[in-house]
Amino acid sequence: MFTVRTLAAACAWLCVCAPALAAAAAVAQAPKAEVIHWWTSGGESAAVKQVAQAYRDAGGVWIDTAIAGGDQSRAVTINRIVGGNPPTAAQFNTSKQFLDVIEAGMLNNVDKVARAQNWDQMLPEPIVDVIKVDGHYYAVPLNIHMQTWFWYSKAAFKKAGIEKEPESMGEFFAALDKLKAAGIIPLAHGGQSWQETVLFSAILANMGGKELYLKAMRDRDQATLLGPDFRKVMLAFKRLKSYVDAGSPGRNWNDATALVISGKAGFQVMGDWAKGEFTNARQIAGQHYGCMAGFNAATPYLIQGDVFVFPQTDSAQAVRAQQLLAKVVSQPDLQVTFSKLKGSIPVRTDVNAAELDVCARKGIEIMKDRGRQAGVTEVYLTPDQNGAMQDVLTAYWNTNMPVEKAQKSIANALKY
Amino acid sequence: MSDTALQAAPMTFDTAPAARRKRRLSPARIGVYAFLFSAALYFLLPLYVMIITSFKSMDEIRSGNVFALPLFATVEPWQNAWRQVSGGFWNSVAITVPSTIIPILLGAINGYALSFWKPRGANLLFGVLLAGAFIPVQVMIYPLVWMMARAGVFGSLPAIVLVHVIFGMPIMTLLFRNYYASVPHELFQAARIDGGGFWRIFGQVMLPMSLPIIVVAAIMQVTGVWNDYILGLVFAGRDNAPMTVQLNNVINTTTGTRLYNVNMAATILTAAVPLAIYFFSGRWFVRGIAAGAVKG
Amino acid sequence: MPAFRVNKVTPHIALLPMALTVLVAYIGAALWTFKTSFTASRTFASDNFIGAAQYVRLFDNERWLLSLHNLAVYGVCFIIACMVLGFLLAAFIDQNVSGEGFLRTVFLYPYAMSFIATGLVWQWMLAPGAGIEGAVQSLGFTSFRFDWIIDQELVIYTIVIAAVWQASGLVMAMMLAGLRGVDPEIYKAARLDGIPAWRVYLQIVLPMLGPTVATVFLLLCTAVVKLYDAVVAMTGGGPGTASEVPAKFIMDHLFLRSNIGLASAGAVTLLIPVLALLAPYAYARSRRKRA
Repeated sequence: MFTVRTLAAACAWLCVCAPALAAAAAVAQAPKAEVIHWWTSGGESAAVKQVAQAYRDAGGVWIDTAIAGGDQSRAVTINRIVGGNPPTAAQFNTSKQFLDVIEAGMLNNVDKVARAQNWDQMLPEPIVDVIKVDGHYYAVPLNIHMQTWFWYSKAAFKKAGIEKEPESMGEFFAALDKLKAAGIIPLAHGGQSWQETVLFSAILANMGGKELYLKAMRDRDQATLLGPDFRKVMLAFKRLKSYVDAGSPGRNWNDATALVISGKAGFQVMGDWAKGEFTNARQIAGQHYGCMAGFNAATPYLIQGDVFVFPQTDSAQAVRAQQLLAKVVSQPDLQVTFSKLKGSIPVRTDVNAAELDVCARKGIEIMKDRGRQAGVTEVYLTPDQNGAMQDVLTAYWNTNMPVEKAQKSIANALKY
Repeated sequence: MSDTALQAAPMTFDTAPAARRKRRLSPARIGVYAFLFSAALYFLLPLYVMIITSFKSMDEIRSGNVFALPLFATVEPWQNAWRQVSGGFWNSVAITVPSTIIPILLGAINGYALSFWKPRGANLLFGVLLAGAFIPVQVMIYPLVWMMARAGVFGSLPAIVLVHVIFGMPIMTLLFRNYYASVPHELFQAARIDGGGFWRIFGQVMLPMSLPIIVVAAIMQVTGVWNDYILGLVFAGRDNAPMTVQLNNVINTTTGTRLYNVNMAATILTAAVPLAIYFFSGRWFVRGIAAGAVKG
Repeated sequence: MPAFRVNKVTPHIALLPMALTVLVAYIGAALWTFKTSFTASRTFASDNFIGAAQYVRLFDNERWLLSLHNLAVYGVCFIIACMVLGFLLAAFIDQNVSGEGFLRTVFLYPYAMSFIATGLVWQWMLAPGAGIEGAVQSLGFTSFRFDWIIDQELVIYTIVIAAVWQASGLVMAMMLAGLRGVDPEIYKAARLDGIPAWRVYLQIVLPMLGPTVATVFLLLCTAVVKLYDAVVAMTGGGPGTASEVPAKFIMDHLFLRSNIGLASAGAVTLLIPVLALLAPYAYARSRRKRA
């Protein structure tokens, strides 16, 4: 029977439960994002924790799924998309790795965020080319890595009597000779096929300049690939083999950096993630080691980096989570913090770079010159084409393959 | 210390009684020990390197000799490793237990049916199954993902168990089939005459006498499932990720720094379970196969 | 009689899981792979049929051809080394040595460890300069060379060394068990006849282990075809592409290179010689059974 007491009880119940229900509803509404990525080592995981924190501060819930190894991580992402259980966001490299996924219609676009932040103007051209397909934006870039920095040990330079950084290929070979004469390994190299491709890209960029580089790698122009300028680059590349020590095959890149750190080797050509190793060994840029982005101002700055893509989903909650993540990641403050911990540079140039180290600041300055921006080979080539070229380069490096055959094989590989 | 007669085997065997060989230190005997000693060196060398590396600091590893003992031993890598891989321990257990029991059970049933009942077409089926054992696991991932997605089970514990059942079936069936092939057929006939049906004979006669081969199969399957990485990564789903996925996260990295000492410690920790099983059941392992498992 | 009929049907029902596994999982996957090998599938399976173009590309690919060659070399060396070493270990342990339990564990433990880290350890040990070469040289043998792992021709043998390390313990265990099943009277009789021990083992005991040897051989063959972890951990397929193996080629193209069409063609090509070897073996076994 409806007595006053019952009514009062009902009101009391409602007053107690309503806020709880509202809170529960609010929590249920908080955008939940499961993110698959491969940032598992020290500096990387510290960096991704910053992203997670920023996402939480913006009201979202971050679910972390870290899977070490880029190809493993991407394989899981692809398999989960096929399996109907996609993550909210997944990490890929700034490259053609996710082009197939876009073309299969399996990614949500982030046009809203892109247009609001004017990505066409703000982002470097190589990045826009990769994330914008058919007028839609399918990925949000997190950072920029440069693949072909020249790292050198100041102690080794001193011992070999090298007084300044080389400013041309000729000076570079001269420096290598000096190091060899002083009994130091001139070039620390890890003999894995991707590292050989990095070395080759460095020579192509420094010797051939932006034009030759783009003609060969972006346009895949057969005439250029079979031409005399490309041949010179390949010969210079092979010439470097004589400056590398016998133990290089199979060596991990960190072990090569270790040689530079200890002064046993002079140079290493590696991406800016190498800074992490120097920092771990308590060495300071400009003091113990030096960094060169290229021999002179004509060298293109080869961009790669990481992006988040957003697998296709119709769930309104998931879409909201995706949009929020895209927005959070593009904030300048987070960009700086992330890059600082990861060793990269932010995607935007309108950031306060004071916190970043000497080499990163150098990189940001160079990035302001849009004329120097180019992408690494993976930005222009499909994984298959890049892989096929890698196979040729590593075979050329390791065997007595004549340069003509190598050139023809590369031209062939990039024809498919 | 040599193994003596096995309890439940259809045939007894025993190693030569101690009186067989007089313990003279003849040249032949010295040769035996010399050979075994050098072989042991070859086998133990990597373990030695792993252990000393796991107690060194990264600075020492970077600048030091692979074989040198640590100058300043530290347990920090072990603490670090334990912190990172221990989370997946129970997941691994949750995956390994059903992924060992079910394939063994099915292998036993298959082997039993193939050996004694020989239904039509079974041998052909077995032949195809054996051919399947040669297919690299990765090749089957895509179609299996697709099939599981259609069945709605992808990314869950049942999915990974099912996958392990599929991949374990060829070897398990082979082991049991060969084991039962060495069991005297008269035993089976007698049981049939006594009125036993398919399941009766299996449950009351064959299964009890299969203990040795079950131990063998369990050891092989536990090792395979516990150390599996790629299948657990793809099929188990995020919440069921086994210890090996975490091990990979510790060891593998594309552009990050590599902590070799932690890697070694983590590997030893992850291998601890199969190693313990070997250590404690090594005798059964040899005995089990002795009972005719491998007599083709 | 109902019991009779039930007994006829029950085995078939009991084998249902096996039938399902074979038909749905194995044959289904094999058919899918076969179909995909004729398409231009990249990251995802597509229906873009291009005939045998993937196969043409496959056999035009030096890395693939080299991987087949490596597999043959590796397969022969690995199987022979494992079986010889396994048998020797088993035979020697069978000689009533003290510490048998300890020795058995020593030889078996590599099988328990994942190759990701143990492969790296082998890489360190076989690296020229450091590793074994360096250690022996520092002992005074300054002209000692052991740099196979950076040699284009010899690197595949370093993989054999590490893989034998991992697998021969299992072979030893199986052989030992087989040996334990040999009638001890044979040894007594042989000694009375004055036959030296090594001849007993080689000419009398080994033939008796025929079935054991056959099963071990089969298991080792499956391991050879699936070789992947060791190569990735030790050499990454290098130097260059010198230690490439088919399973790695397939895996690289499945995920890293996003070219499942080519990977499928490789998988199909890999399976055919396996079937070619397996069929006569199965045929011989069925003949023997009937006999």
